[in-house]
Amino acid sequence: MVTTYIRRAYSSFVAHVFDIPARLLAFLLFLTLLFIPFAIQNTYYLRILILANVLAIFAVSWDFLVGRTGQISLGHAIFFGIGGYITALLSSSKFFGLPIFLTIPIAILAACIIALALGIPSLRVKGPYLALVTMSFPLILAALLKWYPLNHIFKGEFGIRGLPALVPRLDWMTIGQQRVGEYYVTLILLFAASVILYKIANSKIGLVFVSILDDELASKACGINVTKYKLMGFMISGLFGALAGCIQTHLLRFANPPMFALTLSFLPVIVTFLGGLGTIYGPIVGAYIYYILDSYVLRDWLPRFLKETVGVTLPPEFDFAKLLIFTLIVLILVIKLPRGIAKFTTDKLGDLEEARDLDERGPRIWKTYKKKEKTTSTGSEPTASS
Amino acid sequence: MSPLHLLEIKNLTKHFGGLAAVDNISFQADEGEIIGIIGPNGAGKTTLFNLISGFLKPDSGTMKLRGENITGLEPHKIVNKGIARTFQVVRPFRHLPVIANVMVALRSPRGARKIEWLKTIERKAADLLEDVGLSEMMLEPAENMGHGTLKRLEMARALATEPDLLMLDEPFGGLNPLETDFLTKSLMRMHLDEPTRCILIVEHKLYALMKIVSRVVVLHQGEKIAEGTPEEIAQNDRVIEVYMGKGIQDA
Ligand SMILES: Nc1ncnc2c1ncn2[C@@H]1O[C@H](COP(=O)(O)OP(=O)(O)OP(=O)(O)O)[C@@H](O)[C@H]1O
Ligand SMILES: [Mg+2]
Repeated sequence: MVTTYIRRAYSSFVAHVFDIPARLLAFLLFLTLLFIPFAIQNTYYLRILILANVLAIFAVSWDFLVGRTGQISLGHAIFFGIGGYITALLSSSKFFGLPIFLTIPIAILAACIIALALGIPSLRVKGPYLALVTMSFPLILAALLKWYPLNHIFKGEFGIRGLPALVPRLDWMTIGQQRVGEYYVTLILLFAASVILYKIANSKIGLVFVSILDDELASKACGINVTKYKLMGFMISGLFGALAGCIQTHLLRFANPPMFALTLSFLPVIVTFLGGLGTIYGPIVGAYIYYILDSYVLRDWLPRFLKETVGVTLPPEFDFAKLLIFTLIVLILVIKLPRGIAKFTTDKLGDLEEARDLDERGPRIWKTYKKKEKTTSTGSEPTASS
Repeated sequence: MSPLHLLEIKNLTKHFGGLAAVDNISFQADEGEIIGIIGPNGAGKTTLFNLISGFLKPDSGTMKLRGENITGLEPHKIVNKGIARTFQVVRPFRHLPVIANVMVALRSPRGARKIEWLKTIERKAADLLEDVGLSEMMLEPAENMGHGTLKRLEMARALATEPDLLMLDEPFGGLNPLETDFLTKSLMRMHLDEPTRCILIVEHKLYALMKIVSRVVVLHQGEKIAEGTPEEIAQNDRVIEVYMGKGIQDA
């Protein structure tokens, strides 16, 4: 009797942890991404997908922090910028000139330690207040970088330039081949980052994170060191955020103050809500949607379409309107499709498999199992139901 | 030297502004005891639990667990020393299924591989839920559960930390007679299974409480006004006055 219970619970438990449709979709997505360079020969378009990979890593790290540990950060650019600037300073031939396979890990480690310090406010303030506090961090750092007395180090607005490339172009390589190399390097890093974060989110640690998100006091009553886990959440998230910053720095071969800009703090928010909060795979889908919309539609297709059919040339200020357009899209999504596009799709896939209870209110590791037929209760145990 | 008590509280005091919610309270609890803590509304029972579990820091006084001073320790440290509590107003993890609520509180076996932890932790959680009669609904999300279920879930979760001292804040609150009866029985069963575990119970339903406790501590306006066996307490003039006095005066 007990063993059947346990066995049934265990099998459905596994079915929940290893969310099959999500896994299938993730696998198909990865396969598609793997073969994209063969389909796209245009180096400009490939470049955009490379940047999408970087943004995806960055957004996944944000999603982990916000969707899984409940610490709202609107200053995620700080990790991006810190990672980028540290590897820039260490690898620049004008300063230390270290190889990037050393500087990137050092930068990530340093960002982890800084994340620990940045996590401290999260112990005191919550929700929107924490969002505001975190938002100010990158702005302060950006101001510091532009501060005149430090110009001989950080070079102000100009930034640190002429850095070693992520994938150096060897003598025999064409630009296209270098791009393909960059694409695969970023893709592998994205894959590694999301798998690691997914594993953490679905381990006991991930369970503890959700419990803290739900009720901090009750977590404490369960013997959980809430302080430790909150800081751990910041560190893990900061690690991957910094990784994204490092990669972009060596892709573009410079680090400049806009790496700390508000736009960069909001991008992961937009992208994550596009894909689905708390899902890990959602932000990846979101990052691709964002870049496709941004580069192919808004930058390429729309101006051409307007020029050819209406005869209007878009002013350069249109760039500013883009963020507004994306914010609007996200607003509509939050209202109409609160689970995000990717989550919506996997849930639909899941519906085909079995009736699932869909959660619209927040992240969840264990989806609920709607039992198709209520098992008739045996014995005289009282069952309280609401 | 006197033998060590499991829990020894000395002159514990906690003020909220000018109000002494817990006023110079001392008592001891020993292994295997089931102690009832009673008193009218606002007597300071929940505050006392909050002090013992570390959620509030006392203004003065000391608390010792097996002779070790635990005054002022963080709540999670106190839990890991062996004191668990439930909340008067239930605090489930709403996004997690019932079974995962219990799993959060279980210590993960050190060095175990992931699959093994799934197995051991899940089995333990399932057993605990069966003890409180919730095996039927362990995969349901906690947010769909009724109050009575959540009360019992709280208890299973507290038990998951394997406490030497279990503090239940109104475990029968909001339960119907059938559920109360079931919970009383499972408490007695647990007491037989773990005879050294000490249980402190705050409860207003005196009828259900008096059947299971061996000793009662009575609080009133933050002070301890009586302590003794259920029979002694039932005869105690001061207690009768506190519980009935107002009614008699008003009449
Ligand atoms: N956080 C707080 N801040 C201010 N006053 C408080 C606080 N918590 C409790 N009190 C006050 O302390 C007194 C004791 O409250 P407590 O909750 O301990 O009583 P109780 O015995 O648990 O009552 P009940 O039977 O209603 O649960 C009450 O007068 C209450 O108003
Ligand atoms: Mg109370």
